[in-house]
Amino acid sequence: MPDNGSERSGGLVETHKGYNPRVVVFYLFIAGLLLILAGGLAYQQLLRSDSFHESERKQNQRRVLVPGPRGNIYDREGRPLVTNRPRFAVTLYLGELRKEFRAEYIRIRKAYRETGDKDIPSTSQMERIARFTVVQRYLNQINRALGRSETLDSDDLDKHFRQQLLLPYLLVDDLGHGEYARLIEQLPVTSPLQVYASSVRDYPLGSIAAQTLGYVTANDAIEAAEDFPGAELTTFKMKGTLGREGLEARFDPLLQGQTGGAIYRVDPAGYRINPPLSKRQPVHGRDLRTSLDADLQQAAEKVMTDTELAAAAVAIDIRSGEVLVLASKPDYDLTGFIPRLSHPAARDITERGAWLNRATHGLYPPGSSFKILTAIAGLRSQTIDPAVRVNCTGYYQVGGRRFPCHDGHAHGEINLATAIEKSCNVYFYKQGLDMGVETLASEARRHGFGRPTGLEVLETRGTLVPDPAWRKERRDARWFPGDTANFSIGQGDLLVTPLQMAAFTASVARDELTTTPTLRHDENRAAQHSPRSGLTGPQYAALIAGMEACTVTGTAKVLQSPFMKIPGMRIAGKTGTAQKQTPHGTINFAWFICFAPVENPRVAIAVVVEGDTPGEETAGGRYAVPVARAILKTWDDKQKKHPSPLQSSAVPASP
Amino acid sequence: MLPQRFDQAKPFLTLGIALLAWLLIPTAVKRMARTSFFELQAPLQTTASYVRDLQDFWSLKTRSKNELIEAGRDLARLNAAYEARLQQDAALRAELERLERILKLPTPPGYRAEPARVVLRDFSSWWQRLVIRKGHNYGLVEGAPVIYAGGVVGRVREVHAYTAVVELVSSPGVRIAATTEGDTRPISYQGGVNPTYGPAVGTVEYVPLDIFVTPSAPRRLVTSGLGGVFPPNLTIGFLIRVEPSSDGLFKSGDVRLDPALSALNEVTVLVPEPAASAR
Repeated sequence: MPDNGSERSGGLVETHKGYNPRVVVFYLFIAGLLLILAGGLAYQQLLRSDSFHESERKQNQRRVLVPGPRGNIYDREGRPLVTNRPRFAVTLYLGELRKEFRAEYIRIRKAYRETGDKDIPSTSQMERIARFTVVQRYLNQINRALGRSETLDSDDLDKHFRQQLLLPYLLVDDLGHGEYARLIEQLPVTSPLQVYASSVRDYPLGSIAAQTLGYVTANDAIEAAEDFPGAELTTFKMKGTLGREGLEARFDPLLQGQTGGAIYRVDPAGYRINPPLSKRQPVHGRDLRTSLDADLQQAAEKVMTDTELAAAAVAIDIRSGEVLVLASKPDYDLTGFIPRLSHPAARDITERGAWLNRATHGLYPPGSSFKILTAIAGLRSQTIDPAVRVNCTGYYQVGGRRFPCHDGHAHGEINLATAIEKSCNVYFYKQGLDMGVETLASEARRHGFGRPTGLEVLETRGTLVPDPAWRKERRDARWFPGDTANFSIGQGDLLVTPLQMAAFTASVARDELTTTPTLRHDENRAAQHSPRSGLTGPQYAALIAGMEACTVTGTAKVLQSPFMKIPGMRIAGKTGTAQKQTPHGTINFAWFICFAPVENPRVAIAVVVEGDTPGEETAGGRYAVPVARAILKTWDDKQKKHPSPLQSSAVPASP
Repeated sequence: MLPQRFDQAKPFLTLGIALLAWLLIPTAVKRMARTSFFELQAPLQTTASYVRDLQDFWSLKTRSKNELIEAGRDLARLNAAYEARLQQDAALRAELERLERILKLPTPPGYRAEPARVVLRDFSSWWQRLVIRKGHNYGLVEGAPVIYAGGVVGRVREVHAYTAVVELVSSPGVRIAATTEGDTRPISYQGGVNPTYGPAVGTVEYVPLDIFVTPSAPRRLVTSGLGGVFPPNLTIGFLIRVEPSSDGLFKSGDVRLDPALSALNEVTVLVPEPAASAR
């Protein structure tokens, strides 16, 4: 082929070489660079795609958690003790005010510029002022509609805006029915102001069984279920509740509702974009049916309140072990915890000693009510013969010390039943010393003293059955016969709770060793049984005869007075008056334990009333018996109105 | 002569200029233009409603005398019943005033009843509205409650010179503080998203848990009077279904509204009057 090109260009000759090895190097270099680029692109697009996608999702999605309402607490008959009530509030969705904030900010900036002020606030300060102004405008709208004069906290608003923009801002809380009605009718449907109903605890029967039911506090750390999506996202949590005491604390996992919520997409400024990407409704917690009987509880608390003394009362269904009454005074107003307990109210509760549930945490010497246990120990160890009489001369000499009888005078020749009826100390000093401290302590432990009863709510672990080994170990001291004498009448280092005494009384009523009380009601609960106490028929009959005589002619004979008598009801009981040395003198604890009816035991009761004045006689018959009587009377009235089908199958009084 | 390509682009240019002009026009002017448009439309709608009234008049003229006599008799009975109720009301009102005097209570704000003809019905999935033949000329105000013989119609949403727009109770934009008949606890009623020609329903929230209804045993839902807009005991509809809401605090449910709402010819606007001072 001729080379025309070289002819056209005259003297210049362009030569072209089809292949130049140096260019190949350049091509390879370029190809390498392109390969690196393509590889990088592939790495970013293919391999790291998921990671970027996840980062983007985390950056522009937010999760809002809403707690589920707590379950209700009912008494054994299904009456609500603790429920939820709505608490209406007006909230403002700040996320919907973005344009208003901006417009207000521009207006404020313009105003500052026009005035020529040299000290113009910074942009963030002006934005803050703008937000405050806009929100204040909405609050004024609410104040006008409700006739209130609520004010706005600038710092609180700013904190909410920075940290919880997705959550509605609370403007006015605790609206009345009329206020809530006015707002839902007067606020436009599309207004950023909305009426919001949250759930707070409600006590339809007032603060009965306050310490037993317990209270709840706000919980900022509500948790979502494991399968709730978006755990890795920034999460905003609305306040939930947490059970703090009593049943609310013990059954918190049961009562807690399931957390619901939603995942929203947000814009770069953090404002929410509706509708949510996913949503889950919160679920109501499960209800709790307690064994408490609201009628009996109220009856007990009323009399306890009337005494104006610190007291505790426990009543147990003998057959099932279900706790019918668990009362402690002084107590606290449960509504005071809504929405939160104020400092003065907390201080007041502390000063009155009302935090303590005396029924489960009160540690008392049982006094003469413990003589029933001493009697059982003596009968089992054969040191007591119910028919054998002991001469009470009004005192008992133990070593060099003279131990007086409880009312200071001689009872004469008395047997077991009379000793229980008259609460003769001398009889039991002698029996205690005859059987020895080890036998007595062992029998007490056999009946469950010295350890918690097993109730669902917390109990004190401070109960104590003393013996020489304990004395040696804890105090490095000897045990004296006088200690045994004191122990045999429920004095000295022995410490019990009213709950333990009630469980013990229930066990005595069944002629068994222990009763495990429960606060949960089960209509199909089987009768509770434990090993028999080991008493013979005549021994048990003598014990019960003495307890019944106590309520007829003995130290609790006040139960036979015209205003106290419960017609047709036979009661077996034992009073007690325990002493405690304080720096100001000796104060008394009035005790009464009983069960009824004697022929068909159904209810066991233990009551303790704390004396508050050193040296003042606070006898069980005078202070504790009326509380037990109120419980029994209410129980009897209910039985007459609605006889229990279980009555016929109750445990017989004697084996 | 402009190039052909420019001629082809002229419509787009015009549209662009129009849009630009609309964006640049001050908001006040835009609002005035929109209002004027409605005010210009209003005479046409009003005229059309007068024509419809005339049609109704002539169609009634064709009725036989017997029918008219029967209708007259029914009307007389109805009048007699209303007369009796008016007398009862007068006695109750007198008693109320006496008690207010004794207790030195201020008279609660009352209402002036302003009857109005419906000139237009504007129903869609998003709103359900009526246009009535009275406006500023009769002192109507925005937000005023509107009722009819069967209960609540809705609220006045817009007021023009000679007409007003009423948002029906079936519209999602209407919310009322209601109660079930015989109860005092307020419930939030809100219109539902209703099909254009379907049976209208509303929804309720915050219904107490002890309220039970079934479609066969519905409960009447009435205004509570607590909201400060509607007087108490006006029928809103019938609560036909309630179910517990997930929070366990309340129930929510559906309300069946009167089908007559979509065929109203005459309504009454309750124009609020200022409260009298204590006597």
